[in-house]
Amino acid sequence: MILKGQKRKLPQEDLELADSGGPVWESQRQFVFSVSLNKYQRSQELPEPSLRRSVLIANTLRQMSLEGCREPPADMEVPEPPPPAGLLHRDVEEDEDWESTDSDVSLSAAISSILTVLDSTIDGSFPTAPRSPLRSLENLSGSSEGGVAWVKPGVRGHSVSYQQQAEPKARDGGPGDVTVEDLFQDIDTCLLERDMGVLGLGGGHPTGEDLLRYLPPFSNLKCLPSFSSFSPLPAEAFELDNLMEILVES
Amino acid sequence: MAGVAGGNDFQWCFSQVKGAIDEDVAEADIISTVEFNYSGELLATGDKGGRVVIFQHEQESKNRPHLRGEYNVYSTFQSHEPEFDYLKSLEIEEKINKIRWLPQQNAAHFLLSTNDKTIKLWKISERDKRAEGYNLKDEDGRVRDPFRITSLRVPVLMPMDLMVEASPRRIFANAHTYHINSISVNSDHETYLSADDLRINLWHLEITDRSFNIVDIKPANMEELTEVITAAECHPHQCNVFVYSSSKGTIRLCDMREAALCDRHSKFFEEPEDPSSRSFFSEIISSISDVKFSHSGRYMMTRDYLSVKVWDLNMENRPVETYQVHEYLRSKLCSLYENDCIFDKFECCWNGSDSAIMTGSYNNFFRMFDRNTRRDITLEASRESSKPRATLKPRKVSTGGKRKKDEISVDSLDFNKKILHTAWHPKDNVIAVAATNNLYIFQDKIN
Repeated sequence: MILKGQKRKLPQEDLELADSGGPVWESQRQFVFSVSLNKYQRSQELPEPSLRRSVLIANTLRQMSLEGCREPPADMEVPEPPPPAGLLHRDVEEDEDWESTDSDVSLSAAISSILTVLDSTIDGSFPTAPRSPLRSLENLSGSSEGGVAWVKPGVRGHSVSYQQQAEPKARDGGPGDVTVEDLFQDIDTCLLERDMGVLGLGGGHPTGEDLLRYLPPFSNLKCLPSFSSFSPLPAEAFELDNLMEILVES
Repeated sequence: MAGVAGGNDFQWCFSQVKGAIDEDVAEADIISTVEFNYSGELLATGDKGGRVVIFQHEQESKNRPHLRGEYNVYSTFQSHEPEFDYLKSLEIEEKINKIRWLPQQNAAHFLLSTNDKTIKLWKISERDKRAEGYNLKDEDGRVRDPFRITSLRVPVLMPMDLMVEASPRRIFANAHTYHINSISVNSDHETYLSADDLRINLWHLEITDRSFNIVDIKPANMEELTEVITAAECHPHQCNVFVYSSSKGTIRLCDMREAALCDRHSKFFEEPEDPSSRSFFSEIISSISDVKFSHSGRYMMTRDYLSVKVWDLNMENRPVETYQVHEYLRSKLCSLYENDCIFDKFECCWNGSDSAIMTGSYNNFFRMFDRNTRRDITLEASRESSKPRATLKPRKVSTGGKRKKDEISVDSLDFNKKILHTAWHPKDNVIAVAATNNLYIFQDKIN
């Protein structure tokens, strides 16, 4: 908030909205996205966040992720991690060095690259774009336009490593032989210890597809909005560190 | 009613200011709602501390007839206290979200006040007589033994200093899971509605243990929630009609005769978005923060972040009038989003004849629009211009590079000073403007 007597400085972002698709627009979109994510996370930390505010921020996040996915792919060959500047910026105070040991940064980058490789492996006929972390969520089937896909209670998976399951299936080749959800199906879901309340997890454990839906691009633990926190559901959390190990091993 | 813009017919003058002058504003003293009663004799304010202060209009002095009477404190009471929801481990704020007066039917005054969860019906009555002469107690105050009372003495009513009592007559609780944003008394004077983020309930003023849910937009799966209710109001004349606005900039008019549950609207008001002005914040700024029927019942007014729109109830596809409140903020939406100002909920109000509308802005500015002349004026509620009967000088915000004298640049606006709550006297040109913890009363200059 602006302090009394203190003049506001015109921030760089207060520009006329650039043409959609241009680099300026993209950087604006990324900035607003990161601000929105940060806002949403902070509001969820409140004992009782304002529902109106949460809904508006969530809709803004959703809109920007949709618009971001409509952008033409920047590089279709090498799945590079997303650039650090726009996507990963959250707060001025936070460490912007994406190569740091910040688990959010490395996790999102790793997920992005893994999923991109996976896409190209599954069906080489389709040009695989270097998917941003958002794209993984966007491509999920069943992501309703009006809502945000959330991890839902599912069948408990077996305690099998990702690597063991993924490789044999990948060798089979051909589309449809292996799906992303199959790969995650067997992740040891006992890693899910507690729900943060934001996710609205029920008493069961998520399916692979649901797990993939959950994986946030930027946030440490909480990401896309869920309003189930207003429902009296039990809380389980997601141990990203453990999942990170499994994914990186592949 | 004369026009509102500066000119020969009308000039707004400072009348009074209520509240502390301290720079450090206590959170509890921040005014959260302002409302005139039906006659305009009483003016009620609610604050974040759960208190209600009622001001009464004093009659004009016979010695100085050129002065309108002033509003002086009539009654002060604690309406709501902070509570704790043990089930959810959440504290329920005592902040008064809305006050609505009931039409006066006898000597007493009744009003509804609400916080996030509970609505209360308060009776404000005067007592200027006291019964004296009881022989039921000894002189030291001890109650006498009934067997010792041998004569019947009828007490005599003696005059006493005027005492205004506020007593809670009804408490309407436990009907809202989400935060109440609106209450509205129906034209039948028997029922009223209360609205929270997802539901609207219909109450009878006499019955506290039961309410009827008439609107429910809660999705089966809360993760699919994309829209909330932001305001609701009963039609001023048709007791079967009410409207509610949403965070997506839509207004739904419902007829309670059609169905018990009014999830299906009778009319749907929405203005198509202008593609040229689309931005990341289009939805947020389209969120309606207030909806008010005109006194005539023919129109309704909605307030979104940047504008006020007047709708004809017979035309759903677009408003009949649109007034820009502070269009110069459109290029600042990113910053306003960052500092959360974009989520501020401004109210709006009609004058008694529906010829003018008023709403607040930042820097303690408030805006008035004359619907007939299409002129508008920006005024400021400030201590500096608070000399008795001083005419308010119109203010202007410079949007271009060159700033004229007496203009203020957009970057110099104080976004901490916001006028969210205003009220217009139902009959006279007297307005009440809440500026944080101060209540300003302005009136037109009597010629």
